[in-house]
Amino acid sequence: MNFELSEEQKMIQQSVERFVQENYDLSNRIKISSEDPGFSKEYWSSMAELGWLGLAFSEEDGGFGGNQIDTLVLMEQFGKGLVLEPFLANVVLGGGSIKRGASQEIKDSIIPSLIDGSLQITLAYAEEQSRFDIEDIATAAREENDGFIINGKKSMVLNAESADKIVVVARTSGSQVDEEGISLFVVDSDAEGIERENFPTVDGLRASEIIFKDVKVTTTSLIGEKDKGFSILQAVVNDAILALSAEAVGAMEVLYKDTVEYTQQREQFDHPLSDFQVLQHRMVDMFMEYEQCKSLLFRATMETVQDPSLSQRTVHALKHLIGKSGIFVGESAVQLHGGMGVTEELRIGHFFKRLLVIDSQFGNADFHLDKFTNL
Amino acid sequence: MDINLSSEDLAFRDEVRSFFEENKIKSGEDYFSWRLGWFEKAREKGGWDVPKWPEKFGGPGWSPTQHYIWEQETAKANIPFDLPFGLGMLAPILMNYGDQEQQDRFLPDIRDRKVNWCQGYSEPGAGSDLANLKTKAVLSDDGTYYTVNGSKIWTTLAHVADWIFCLTRTDDSGIKQQGITFLLFPMKQEGIEVKPIITLGGSHTVNTVHFTDVKVPVENRIGEEGKGWTYAKGLLEHERTGLAGLSKSLVELEQLKDNARSIQRGNGNLMDNSSYRSKVGELEIDLLATEFTELRSLASAAAGGEPGPESSILKLKGTEIKQRIQKLTVEASGIYSSAWGDKGVGPSFAKGGTAGYLNSRYFTIYGGASEVQKDIVAKKVLGLTKGSSK
Repeated sequence: MNFELSEEQKMIQQSVERFVQENYDLSNRIKISSEDPGFSKEYWSSMAELGWLGLAFSEEDGGFGGNQIDTLVLMEQFGKGLVLEPFLANVVLGGGSIKRGASQEIKDSIIPSLIDGSLQITLAYAEEQSRFDIEDIATAAREENDGFIINGKKSMVLNAESADKIVVVARTSGSQVDEEGISLFVVDSDAEGIERENFPTVDGLRASEIIFKDVKVTTTSLIGEKDKGFSILQAVVNDAILALSAEAVGAMEVLYKDTVEYTQQREQFDHPLSDFQVLQHRMVDMFMEYEQCKSLLFRATMETVQDPSLSQRTVHALKHLIGKSGIFVGESAVQLHGGMGVTEELRIGHFFKRLLVIDSQFGNADFHLDKFTNL
Repeated sequence: MDINLSSEDLAFRDEVRSFFEENKIKSGEDYFSWRLGWFEKAREKGGWDVPKWPEKFGGPGWSPTQHYIWEQETAKANIPFDLPFGLGMLAPILMNYGDQEQQDRFLPDIRDRKVNWCQGYSEPGAGSDLANLKTKAVLSDDGTYYTVNGSKIWTTLAHVADWIFCLTRTDDSGIKQQGITFLLFPMKQEGIEVKPIITLGGSHTVNTVHFTDVKVPVENRIGEEGKGWTYAKGLLEHERTGLAGLSKSLVELEQLKDNARSIQRGNGNLMDNSSYRSKVGELEIDLLATEFTELRSLASAAAGGEPGPESSILKLKGTEIKQRIQKLTVEASGIYSSAWGDKGVGPSFAKGGTAGYLNSRYFTIYGGASEVQKDIVAKKVLGLTKGSSK
């Protein structure tokens, strides 16, 4: 058992930390978020040049052969600045689907451009009725001639506004909630019959509702086997949970540290707020939740790297704790900052919003508690 | 003890219900003229436009049960909006500490909803520790006016207010609760600058207000110079019991259940999900208890004049309940809770739900943060002060 990062990982950690410190103060983040496309293309190119986008891809695919631990290192640091660049959508969701099941031809046409930052991709899986159940897929892909015709609607698709390609999860057989009968396709985002409705999210990112109306795709755009897409989707979602949890841990660290600092400066009743025991204990609780989340993050990530078939229960445990503790830490930071905490002016509110959104993605705390106790 | 409403109370409830029914806004009717007309008719009922005012000042002189019935019915009915600043916060101070001339000058306009007031209490350095305020008021040599300089923060609706009631410092030589003076002055005048504060929910309700050499005639001072803290403190307690909003929460809870039932899951709906249902259930149990805590508090206030110790937990419990309702709305919205802005996606209640939740975090901060409320309960109710152990 060893919790040490490798020398390379430490170097990456330091370079991401520096990147966040230099580029992600609150006012700059607000500026980038409010202008199209909602992230900085310049930063995205830098991330590509620094090799961050290729870390999680195999060497055969043109990457650096890293794994979920490398993604953890990046995401935890991203979380400390609430980085807006669409790493999750591109590398973990879109790229994660392609690398797991696509034909060599598709891989060759997408992964190198993903790694060099020239192509954007995302994953459209959630639907209006599905809530958090990833197997609940009504969007249909009907086989016809030498391809498929896709009809349906996808919800809350991250980064769809900027994506050149969309991995769409569709039903090719079975009933609406069967794991069997789900297939993944990669389509061009400007294909005929695709309509995107873009909007901002609570955390300053962007998402879209997407309607697919008689969208024609060829058989070669199928990722993995027909009807067998669920296991790919499940693995991608687990990776997304690990990545988001790492980001949340980074955000929680900022929240508890900012709160400790603020209460030492702010004086009320002729004392710094940090003199009051009731506030001290609340901050100790915030700190403990942060550390516990970090422990479970390490546990779930290391287990997944070791054997993903054995880590499912721990992944559910992680997402439950991250959701519950993230909101506790966020609410506590706001409460201890008093009125200032409820404004847009301090960064803690923005970190709180991000944690709130993370809880609503890929299953909230309740959902994963149910899954955990039933497994 | 008897939980049944008396036949008089039942008759009163019916009277309230039919009043609301008869005076509903008609389609196409102008909202603001309807609003003023509504209050006029309520006044003709015998002070229904100012339910909480004492009879002496034109209030209806209701029993605690009648107040409770009124609260319940207003939470359910569509009645015109009202703001608490003049009506509920300043008016009691004017009645208790203002002179006859001030009462005659300000109370009628408050009652007629003609003048919007805002409350100038908190300052950048004076939040929970309100008495630490620094906004300076200096009396002119001839003793006819004060000159006010300083800043207020979290001033709700200052940007639409006509007047402000304001705590100022006239003397800083003693302990900080002394030397505070209570002044009233118009907002629309030179030397007053209002700047918006945008909250996490993206809305503009609160402001910072800066005063530069604002002149306030001495007849706009309530009571004596330097005694403002005593006047304001009574009002703060009034404000605290008024923040529970339980009847509204009960209505919102029913709405929450309806919303959850509209989210289909398998053969059932979200209310069939055991985790979610437990949280809604726990919330409802707390609400049932708190509602009766409020009733007990009203009853002991009616019997003895002073609210009993149970009133001190109302703000704590009431605000926490409101926050939990907001949180459960966010959870019911599922993946759509992260959508932002005017364009609604997902179920209709999801729109604005997260903004409401974010803004609701303020409930346990304003009007005395929960930590301060608990200090008050520890000290005043349990008698726990430093050195109190034997």
